[in-house]
Amino acid sequence: MAMKEKSCVAIAADRRFGIQAQMVTTDFQKIFPMGDRLYIHLARLVTDIQTVVQCLKFRLNLCELKEGLLSEKRFGPYYTEPVIAGLDLKTFKPFICSLDLTGCPMVTDDFMVSGTCAEQMYEMCESLWESNMDPEHLFEIIFQAMRNAVDQNAVSGMGVIVHITEKDKITTRTLKALMD
Amino acid sequence: MALQDVCKWQSPDTQGPSPHLPRAGGWAVPRGCDPQTFLQIHGPRLAHGTTTLAFRFRHGVIAAADTRSSCGSYVACPASCKVIPVHQHLLGTTSGTSADCATWYRVLQRELRLRELREGQLPSVASAAKLLSAMMSRYRGLDLCVATALCGWDRSGPMLFYVYSDGTRLQGDIFSVGSGSPYAYGVLDRGYRYDMSTQEAYALARCAVAHATHRDAYSGGSVDLFHVRESGWEHVSRSDACVLYMELQKLLEPEPEEDASHAHPEPATAHRAAEDRELSVGPGEMTPGDSRMPAGTETV
Repeated sequence: MAMKEKSCVAIAADRRFGIQAQMVTTDFQKIFPMGDRLYIHLARLVTDIQTVVQCLKFRLNLCELKEGLLSEKRFGPYYTEPVIAGLDLKTFKPFICSLDLTGCPMVTDDFMVSGTCAEQMYEMCESLWESNMDPEHLFEIIFQAMRNAVDQNAVSGMGVIVHITEKDKITTRTLKALMD
Repeated sequence: MALQDVCKWQSPDTQGPSPHLPRAGGWAVPRGCDPQTFLQIHGPRLAHGTTTLAFRFRHGVIAAADTRSSCGSYVACPASCKVIPVHQHLLGTTSGTSADCATWYRVLQRELRLRELREGQLPSVASAAKLLSAMMSRYRGLDLCVATALCGWDRSGPMLFYVYSDGTRLQGDIFSVGSGSPYAYGVLDRGYRYDMSTQEAYALARCAVAHATHRDAYSGGSVDLFHVRESGWEHVSRSDACVLYMELQKLLEPEPEEDASHAHPEPATAHRAAEDRELSVGPGEMTPGDSRMPAGTETV
């Protein structure tokens, strides 16, 4: 999930990688940095997550990052739903958005969620998010929302990682949650 | 006698199956519709997925289970009880559809109580298992899902039976049932002995369920532990599964005074951190170094 405040953005993900019911690892990376102040979180099918991230990094390095990676695969899509959070390079204005698997962007001013426990995450964000929070408060809110949402879902969890992006620094915290 | 009338008791040579059981095929479904297909398409999502285990040893029968009730990937209840007492010397672990297990255990409790009144003593564990499997086998093909281990102490000593809703009935020393059972069997097979002590048996059961809750998504919450002895069943403990798993992991950690062995991983980690500045997207790798901004990292 990602949350936005007036001067910073936060993005959080769980750390479980499993195949159906079986948990494979508890330290899987799902949030990837794209540049100085931009993070992208990819959920759903792991093989497509890895493919999309490698394509994005390739295009980023070639300075060719433009729309179309997901919509190119309209009729054989990547099964991944990115959530993007970051600050504008020049104005440092916070920005969050989410894409469905064909690349349709949804931009909001408060929060964005994606993954197997999307409904539970929406419930938690709706009740906890408020405007004009400072970064510490935002971290607490996003962590509590994430932790309680994944605890209600059997196939998510095993720890939470949170990145808070501000104008002059990025804070990353990895936290334990229920490991069952 | 009033009780005789209520029970519709008949003399033994004319006794048929209990008239209180619904007749096979008597489900309320629309006319012209096959019940199984109807339930598969339109039926509600039922609670499923669990880890339960039971094993027989010198001092009785141990039954242990997790407490997570899940409907698909949604955790419906993190603190349910999957070990149901039938009478003072008989317990059952339940797995499959929670609603079916609860219903059929109530039917079993009623039928065993009626038999106790008729015959003057409680039926043996083998008879109880036979009764349950016979009752459920009449509904074979109608999507009942009850996988249970009956744990009891009767005139023959500690007894353990596995009963499934298609009518399967097996006697054994160790059973584990549910989506987490492969992980529990791995731990049980390694540590089980018939002549172990009570404390060893408790530790083995807790360890097996804790490992299963860690690996299996549909098991979790807490670990319930029950012990059936000659004097009756006893609820030994309910422990949080995560806390239990972390304690078990701490027991496996190496001693801290071996400094030489800790020095070796250091260079490898530093080397991998340098490589992470490249395009590494392997699982489990943190890449704060990709950002050219100052990054603070904390692990809690």
